[in-house]
Amino acid sequence: MAYAYLFKYIIIGDTGVGKSCLLLQFTDKRFQPVHDLTIGVEFGARMITIDGKQIKLQIWDTAGQEAFRSITRSYYRGAAGALLVYDITRRETFNHLTTWLEDARQHSNSNMVIMLIGNKSDLESRREVKKEEGEAFAREHGLVFMETSAKTAANVEEAFINTAKEIYEKIQEGVFDINNEANGIKIGPQHSTAGGAKAGGAGAGGAAGGGCC
Amino acid sequence: MFRSRSWFGGGWGRPKNPHSLERLKYLHNILCKNTTVSESNRGILVESLRCIAEILIWGDQNDSSVFDFFLEKNMLSYFLRIMRQKCGGSSYVCVQLLQTLNILFENIRNETSLYYLLSNNHVNSIIVHKFDVSDEEVMAYYISFLKTLSLKLNNHTIHFFYNEHTKDFPLYTEAIKFFNHPESMVRIAVRTLTLNVYRVQDASMLRFIRDRTAAPYFSNLVWFIGKHILELDACVRNDADHQSQQKLDDLVAEHLDHLHYINDILCLNIPDLNDVLTEHLLHKLLIPLYIYSLTSGSIKRPTSSPYNRDHIQSIEVITRNLEAILSGRSSDTPPRLKYPIQKMESEDDLKPSVSCVVSLFLLSQVFLIITHGPIVHALAWIIIQSDISIFDEGAMNILETYVSTAKSNVKLEFAKPQLSLEKALECSTCHDRDYTTPEYSGAKAFGYDTDHSSCDLDPELVSNSLPSTSHISETSSIAHDSTEDLVTQVQSIKSPVKENMPDSPLPDSGIDSTSSKTMSDLNNITDEEKQQLLVSLTNTEKSLTLENIIDKERRDIDNKPFLKTILDSLDCNEDDYKALFALCLLYALINNKGVSSELLDTLLKSELDDSEKVTKESRDENVGQEHQTKPKDHFNALLVAKLMAIAHLSCKPASKVRLVTCEITARLLKIAMEGSSGVPSARHLSAADNLRARAASLARNFYKCDDIFLDMFEDEYCEMCKRPLNVEWLCMDAAILLPPTKTPMSGIAFEKRLPSGEMERARRAIRTFFLIRELYLKLSGKQETQLPLANHAPFVQVGKTLDLNDSDLISCDITQKDGTWQHRFLAVDNIQIILVEPDKQKLGWGVAKLVGSLQDLEITGDKEDPRCLHLTIHKPRVGSTGVSPRTVLLRAKFKFDDHIRSMAAKQRLTKGRTKARQKKMQQIGRLLEVSGISAPAVAPRHRPLFARPSLSTVRRHSGIDGDETDRRIRRPSGHVLKDGVIVYRERTTMSRDSSVSRGSSGKVSREGSQEEIPLEDIRRNSSHPATPSTSRQQSTPSTSQLPKVSRTPSEETSFISGESRPKRKGIIETI
Repeated sequence: MAYAYLFKYIIIGDTGVGKSCLLLQFTDKRFQPVHDLTIGVEFGARMITIDGKQIKLQIWDTAGQEAFRSITRSYYRGAAGALLVYDITRRETFNHLTTWLEDARQHSNSNMVIMLIGNKSDLESRREVKKEEGEAFAREHGLVFMETSAKTAANVEEAFINTAKEIYEKIQEGVFDINNEANGIKIGPQHSTAGGAKAGGAGAGGAAGGGCC
Repeated sequence: MFRSRSWFGGGWGRPKNPHSLERLKYLHNILCKNTTVSESNRGILVESLRCIAEILIWGDQNDSSVFDFFLEKNMLSYFLRIMRQKCGGSSYVCVQLLQTLNILFENIRNETSLYYLLSNNHVNSIIVHKFDVSDEEVMAYYISFLKTLSLKLNNHTIHFFYNEHTKDFPLYTEAIKFFNHPESMVRIAVRTLTLNVYRVQDASMLRFIRDRTAAPYFSNLVWFIGKHILELDACVRNDADHQSQQKLDDLVAEHLDHLHYINDILCLNIPDLNDVLTEHLLHKLLIPLYIYSLTSGSIKRPTSSPYNRDHIQSIEVITRNLEAILSGRSSDTPPRLKYPIQKMESEDDLKPSVSCVVSLFLLSQVFLIITHGPIVHALAWIIIQSDISIFDEGAMNILETYVSTAKSNVKLEFAKPQLSLEKALECSTCHDRDYTTPEYSGAKAFGYDTDHSSCDLDPELVSNSLPSTSHISETSSIAHDSTEDLVTQVQSIKSPVKENMPDSPLPDSGIDSTSSKTMSDLNNITDEEKQQLLVSLTNTEKSLTLENIIDKERRDIDNKPFLKTILDSLDCNEDDYKALFALCLLYALINNKGVSSELLDTLLKSELDDSEKVTKESRDENVGQEHQTKPKDHFNALLVAKLMAIAHLSCKPASKVRLVTCEITARLLKIAMEGSSGVPSARHLSAADNLRARAASLARNFYKCDDIFLDMFEDEYCEMCKRPLNVEWLCMDAAILLPPTKTPMSGIAFEKRLPSGEMERARRAIRTFFLIRELYLKLSGKQETQLPLANHAPFVQVGKTLDLNDSDLISCDITQKDGTWQHRFLAVDNIQIILVEPDKQKLGWGVAKLVGSLQDLEITGDKEDPRCLHLTIHKPRVGSTGVSPRTVLLRAKFKFDDHIRSMAAKQRLTKGRTKARQKKMQQIGRLLEVSGISAPAVAPRHRPLFARPSLSTVRRHSGIDGDETDRRIRRPSGHVLKDGVIVYRERTTMSRDSSVSRGSSGKVSREGSQEEIPLEDIRRNSSHPATPSTSRQQSTPSTSQLPKVSRTPSEETSFISGESRPKRKGIIETI
């Protein structure tokens, strides 16, 4: 379970946009529903590799806690990345993006990477929000944009991994203070010094890989 | 990560259909065969667990027989068995197991399925299983599991988790053990879970929470908040150079999280819980740490303190007595009063406290976030009212209603809970001890308490010693006020608790109710005694200090130590560091809806009479000396005087008052001046008007013909309207906790720091003027009519058809960056540039395609092609859009028929721009009462240049051949064009970016056209300062920053009045 970095993500967006399904799809690829079985989960973790380094993603779904201001507040602050999800078949979920984004910007640390996700891209026939609209919104607010389908797994990997890449780049640029765990980034056990990072990360990654097969 | 790879696609002889009963049977078989987890089979097990989850969800939605089989085979017990094995890689299996459960509980929709899953108590066994929580991954999945379960709680499901008979609620008690986990996400999950639990309004469960867990949980929570505060304080104290802003940010955010969490609990409105929480918060944190810290600063740093020795003592007495009242430790009172002070001073260092700045800041946050009446009212009461003479019946009443519902249970002190939460909970679940409030720690207690600390530690001993009644109640139930409730509870419930009677709350409750009564009796008696003692004390103090009235008033406030600290903090002579927090606190306190208005009258009720005021507000430093009137506990006048002092300081050029301080001061001034009556007195109005004049004079210093001033002025207004002060957001910003700084490189917003450089000083002056002016207008009930700066005429609507017969129209081709090309006609009037397209229906009419403001127009010549101009056209600022930043409508290259047309267009536009700006500058001049512009003269002078809907008037007034020439034609002059150009050019070179005009004019002159002569003149103008216009202006000291005052009349006359024209022309002709 050794990793170079641990990134904490949150998933935000209206209810029913498929947040927990995205999460499960990413952390547990096996659940690719061949038939109508929507299945999700509120928490998941998965290891990915970026730049030869093992990076663990911990994803927390904030669903069901909107009633409590203290909870949403804290969630935002503790995350390094956020997936802001809307449902391309429901216009109102797109319309609420501004509110979500305002909330996120207000409570999160300014470095948090936010990715805009238009989910349910498999339901092309019922589409209400054009892809261009999503792109325009993302451009306007400086977000990365992607349309995904938790059902077919299209772009799900990319969504999470691209976000991680962006966070990773920010770390390399020194934007994130990685020693401050309040940012939602944690350095792995073997990653104590910045200098020893590369060797340690790669070695541990290899070991972990061996352990699993 | 293992899961996702290793078993993907691995096939072994299993039923084809992954979602079927057969498949589940097959998986069950696997579980049966692999009861022991080993290196070799853990992969199979994990895979099976995942499949099981999937099938169960499928079954839940499609085939109930799946669930039947799952229950029949009691498959959850396999889960447990696997979990309990300690072997290599068990965490790996555990994680999957927990995730399977998460998936199960998260996705099950069928109520019955859920009940089945929960029915045999296996879930509770899983909850209490000792997972390896040191493993980060296990911990995360475990806490998510608990959280997921908590989201399933409702009035029915609660009974699966909370066992009323065994008084067992593992889901809750296991979770709260992690309330202070180092991992933030875990802490959040715990908070979510607790809130989800509380909101299931199940009476029995809530009773359990209150009786068994509330005290230990809340006392620990409060203790850790306090520790956090001390850390924050240390961070502020040790950081003069803004080094640890990031850390400070986190600490402040963490404190806000705590407060929001507490507020979320309080907002659930569960009376019993709220009582306990309120009590702990007040007695263990807010009063001993936050409020006491207000005065502790004065003790620790006597040199900087305005208090003399006597006052220190009186503060200590107050603190002591306040504590006595709050904790109800009446029996201790007499001995304590004999030797309180000496003891205190020696122990003062031991008492944890934070700096005054931090405590003001934190209290502001409390009042901004928490609205629960009992807490905020008690706090406000203590801050505003507590003084030496408060110990009468009224005070007691307030405290009894608001504070001491169970008053003696929690000692007033910030101290570590004696038992860790986990221990306390263990005790509670073992039923071998009542763990209510184990917080007495002898070491940190005050002197007189230490004597009893041994008793405190031994509940049985205490409960037997009748004299110290408070101790009895402390060891017994937490909530005395609900003793009846408990009695009935005893009758209804009973059994298991009974065995543990000795110190459990229930059996004692009968005794308690009587003892609490005697206790309150005792309280009353001793308080009277106390009061007498105190009165005598105050009397002696008063007799010492009746020198003059001012001293008396100061004495008044001196008797209110906390309020005095706050009001004293408003002194901004050195800086506004402390003052900002004091203002925030006052603002938050006054605006908190949980604080009663009677209490606020102390601050807000003004003393009726204006005539009795001997002095007007003193304008300078000698504030606070303003007369303060009869009703001793009214401080409105003092408050207003202090606020006025800040406002006056902020109107000084080199003031150390930040804009944010000024803004919040203005807000408070409005509230304080309007008082409880809602109408400011004449005295206040004149003071506000005076203040406005000062602010105007401050801004006047920067009023100059700099083009940028107008833009700055409008921008600042727009900024102010767009982002009105939000005190709650302000108090989220840790940056203000550090001493005020100037440099923008600190990353601190302009409003929250001091201006750096001339430009920012101008901005500050302008903004201060807006704020003060707004205050004045609001107080006097006047409408704002002059801001935002109005345009003289309305803008033409895009799409409107205009009669352009006989108008000056210049044909042009417009090419944008992206290559789009259009042909339009350009028309210009006083304030706007209009691009029109011929109307197809009516000859001579045109449709407005684009309307932009002349004021913001940017004009640049083209270096290559003299026929071209580059224009950037901005959206007009009208009405509500007047307060939004300017937006670019069009940025394009305008190509005219020839260079003459291009010149004409350029001149017309440039002149229009200058004129439009001058008009606005005059408006500003009037606002700022710049001498010479005071008369509202423009209105009569301004002729409606643009009669609508027809644009026919444009022809007379717009541009070089319109406005200018038109009038000139009337004059007997042969040099119309030349003259016009010259007059116009000189203004251009002065007021506009010189490079622009230089570049273009040079270009054009090379063409050797008819225009050459005037352009030559311009060049001469710029090279020889002795040309008419500039020579005129040389009378003022600086040419670059000419005060508008001197220039504007000349502009006006050059345009409008006929007399100056010949004179000027004459001079020109001599060149």
